[in-house]
Amino acid sequence: MTSATSTEQAIELELQSVSKSYGKNLAVKSITASIPQGKVSVIVGPSGCGKSTLLRIISGLDFPTQGSVTFNGAPVRGVPEGLAMVFQDYSRSLFPWMRVDRNIGFPLRHISADERRQRVQEAIDAVGLKGKEKLYPWQMSGGMQQRAAIARALASHPKLLLMDEPYASVDAQTRADLEDLLLDIHATLGVTVLVVTHDIDESIYLADHVIALSAPPSVVAETVEVDLPRPRNQISTKQDPRFVELRAHVTSLLRSH
Amino acid sequence: MSTLYKARGKEAAAGTVPRAPKKGFNGKRLLLRLLVPAILVGVWWALSASPSTGLFIANPLKAVLRIGQDFLSTDPSTFFLGKATYEHLLPSLGRAMAGLGLATAAGVAAGIALGSLPVAAALFQPLIHLGRSLPSPALLGVFFLLFGTGDAPKIFLIAFGVVWPILFNTIDGVNSIGHQRLQAATVFKIRPFDVLFHVILPGASPKIFAGLRTSLSLSLIIMIISELQKSKNGLGYLLVTTQRTFDYTNFWAILIVLGFLGVTLNFLFHIAERRVLAWHRGATQQHD
Repeated sequence: MTSATSTEQAIELELQSVSKSYGKNLAVKSITASIPQGKVSVIVGPSGCGKSTLLRIISGLDFPTQGSVTFNGAPVRGVPEGLAMVFQDYSRSLFPWMRVDRNIGFPLRHISADERRQRVQEAIDAVGLKGKEKLYPWQMSGGMQQRAAIARALASHPKLLLMDEPYASVDAQTRADLEDLLLDIHATLGVTVLVVTHDIDESIYLADHVIALSAPPSVVAETVEVDLPRPRNQISTKQDPRFVELRAHVTSLLRSH
Repeated sequence: MSTLYKARGKEAAAGTVPRAPKKGFNGKRLLLRLLVPAILVGVWWALSASPSTGLFIANPLKAVLRIGQDFLSTDPSTFFLGKATYEHLLPSLGRAMAGLGLATAAGVAAGIALGSLPVAAALFQPLIHLGRSLPSPALLGVFFLLFGTGDAPKIFLIAFGVVWPILFNTIDGVNSIGHQRLQAATVFKIRPFDVLFHVILPGASPKIFAGLRTSLSLSLIIMIISELQKSKNGLGYLLVTTQRTFDYTNFWAILIVLGFLGVTLNFLFHIAERRVLAWHRGATQQHD
């Protein structure tokens, strides 16, 4: 039942005592963590604990004040190859002047038109947006827009998929659907996934391991291995006594720090 | 930008772009709208018939007939357009559009540069405020000195006068695109060329169009002013000469032509804007 220990895993992404301060304000304090290849890792922490800052640093959009980030063995300077991101607010990260298929294919302008079309179609099928290709994002519900944003990330065939509070702006039912969609995609594609969220239930439901952050200045409170079986299910997994136990544990981690 | 919107007509026909519900023909509304113009024409007619003011105010019907005589013709080889159209209307319009085109190119380019680089915006802000605050007709003499008396000083004066709304709105538009969209462009490694033409330009286009609308009207105003002096043709030139020769029928005919020109240009602009910004109308309707 226990998953493979992290020492046997290939490491995709490594954070070495990363800290970030804005002036005198220390947002992130010395974070060290390893994200194993092909697994779902979730960073969970209270609001304002610097989760999004951390994700920006990992994606090369921002730089740490101290420490280093290594992706596939190379230090991150600028946005690395093989990384894709799903932003928190789909309505502000999709391009409202492009139809869904163009939004998804736009980052692929460097590859041939045929291959691009094929990749866009695969991504659209993967997120269940078949038939919506010619709609504009604003003609779709929030959940569908976030699916389009996920498809855009998948179409670039990333090694590492970063998600910044991806389901924070959708309703509960849509959220559950999108969580299952992510688990499906992960099971099919085997891509390394790193999600940032403040939702403890979500973190455990999705993750192979949960990196719990303390309140700012943030440190890693504990990395919790989630040994729940896959495939997971919104009802049975969440009723599993182990799930309840892990949830209590992570909750206490976030409280005590 | 053109490839982006090329297929719009066809796809819009497929019904994916929501349209405003069509209003049926409403006779009452039409009557209401025609009421004020009808009264104005009536007052005009009365004033033209009065002995005290009739000297300067031409009969509206005569003015309209004069337009037919001067600006239109029955000759198919000139596309049914008269001498005055070729000698005065089209040169005027050409200069206004050349000035507007120049201002659009310069205003959008500078606006994108200043909108993307806060340092540049801070550096040039005093200069921009000075330029905007200068009443451009006052510079006519300077432009004559610099560029002679041909079309060039007029075109540059129009461009100088109308560039400001375009510039300010473009800066505003670039700032309205949103941090996350630009971050998304960075994360997905969109090439700078594509960021410029497929993210920044379309993202700023609603504001750019708002600026263009103001500049279009302004370009006609400055067009007339630029033709009042040292001119050999143009509608502004005609306005001056007809007054000097007491040809008031012609003078009023030109005013009507100018009104018609303004309305037509605004209408064409409106159609272009509806096509290019179809996505924006939909997106804002959605969020309201």
